[in-house]
Amino acid sequence: MQVKVLFFGVLADVAGTNCKHFRDVNSMEDLKLRIQDDFPEVVHYNYRISLNNVLTDNDPLLNDSDEVALMPPFAGG
Amino acid sequence: MITNYLIIGPVTMNIISMFIDSMGKMMDSGGHSIFIGQVRADEIGGKKVKAIEYSAYEGMVKSEADKIKETILSEFRDTKSVEIVHSTGIVNSGEISLFVLVSAGHRNQAIEACSKAVELIKDKLPVWKKEIFDDGSHIWKETTKV
Repeated sequence: MQVKVLFFGVLADVAGTNCKHFRDVNSMEDLKLRIQDDFPEVVHYNYRISLNNVLTDNDPLLNDSDEVALMPPFAGG
Repeated sequence: MITNYLIIGPVTMNIISMFIDSMGKMMDSGGHSIFIGQVRADEIGGKKVKAIEYSAYEGMVKSEADKIKETILSEFRDTKSVEIVHSTGIVNSGEISLFVLVSAGHRNQAIEACSKAVELIKDKLPVWKKEIFDDGSHIWKETTKV
């Protein structure tokens, strides 16, 4: 599966990008490991994950062309 | 132009006027409560905040702002409408980055609902802010509960 990963807030600075496409992704667990491999500094930050604009706390099933976002604590307003 | 509750740059007086103008058409409303969020020229470590750069997950802002509106309208049964505009991009100190207008039949619910809407926006809207200092440096800001 190909999955698009978005980085927001401080994570965009840390990752050096706000978007990366990952190919041949097997699962959310697999994706998380690959994100840690490619962007090891990201593990030092608090963030939540959304899948297709919906917050998720576990490892939902992924489908091809899904969009995953890594989001530090919100700071709007 | 406001798209999905977001505007690039500060919320201008023209936008605020447009919403205030529209209040007169709401014949079932007796009270309107407005919150305006402004970029504050905080001083941190001897440096002054010159501007804030806001970034947002735009697709999720729409769904979350829609939910905030639904929450307010269902919890405060006298409310008639909820308007939200949040900035993205650069907003200088002294400029406006958030506008919330709640209209209700009576003043108590207008005031309480507006206050609740602002708290929900701070808690739920996927927006981030980078404080930019007068020396060009920046830090990422987290929301403080006050």
